Amino acid sequence: MREPDSPPRWAETVLETLLPCEDRQAVTGDLREEYAETVLPELGRWRADAWYLRQVLSLAPRRIFKEDGMRKMLLPVSVFNTVCGCWLITMEMLLRHAGYVARVAMDASISLVSLATILVILLHPGVRTERWFRLCGLPLIAIALWAFVRNARSTHFEGFVLIISLALTLQGVLLLVSLGKEPRGFRLGGMEGSR
Amino acid sequence: MSDLLGAFEQAVLLAIVRLAANAYGRTILHEAQASLGRQVSAGAVYTTLDRLEQRGLVRSRLEQGTEARGGRPRRYYTVAAEGVSALNEARDTLTRMWSSIQWPAEIVR
Repeated sequence: MREPDSPPRWAETVLETLLPCEDRQAVTGDLREEYAETVLPELGRWRADAWYLRQVLSLAPRRIFKEDGMRKMLLPVSVFNTVCGCWLITMEMLLRHAGYVARVAMDASISLVSLATILVILLHPGVRTERWFRLCGLPLIAIALWAFVRNARSTHFEGFVLIISLALTLQGVLLLVSLGKEPRGFRLGGMEGSR
Repeated sequence: MSDLLGAFEQAVLLAIVRLAANAYGRTILHEAQASLGRQVSAGAVYTTLDRLEQRGLVRSRLEQGTEARGGRPRRYYTVAAEGVSALNEARDTLTRMWSSIQWPAEIVR
């Protein structure tokens, strides 16, 4: 049940998920205070909720900038590969060339690993990832190399296959090397006195 | 000081100076908006505070929150000695840059 002078609960939960845990309480507290004492009395419920959502959106990139360089790079690459994987699945299902089931399974595994990487980066910042998950980078690199060689040998060279195989290789390498250590300057523990 | 402060960084640092003991996220946001004369997003303020803290220009500490915040703590900010030096340097640089210009500057066509 929503309290009368508090922002939408779901938006606050999204914000808490997006923020690094060291800032979670202080930042959501500031916004809740501003919402209740200034924005809601001035703007009314709907516009105040819209204001709160704008603040949530403005704070979303902050999470990414707190990560170190390799994790920052891993996020867009994983998003790209998730989208490409879904696109390849759709095309395979529509065209249904010989052997499409195996390729759909491969594309689905690419999408799943990429999606899992995105979730790990966003939901568990500053946490060393399990070794088995980091090792998912190896099959990604293997698939990328296989696709590249197959593409190079075919009579009709596909540019998009080259781009996707490069992105997969990059994601595989970054998965192997960047998630095994804690990002620089990242500290857990939401209530410590100073940073 | 190798990196000069940007305009927004100066606005945030000066807001902390003006607010003194009452400088936390919400009041800094208000003060920055008032001094810049425009709406400022919370994300811009917190990102700048993070950057300033990483550069050692501000320090922060957590204190107990009020009921309006659902009991969540407040993070109070103070300007470090390096921050004061950076502000002084930014002001000196601006003064030097403008010293040879007659204001309002005329457009020469």
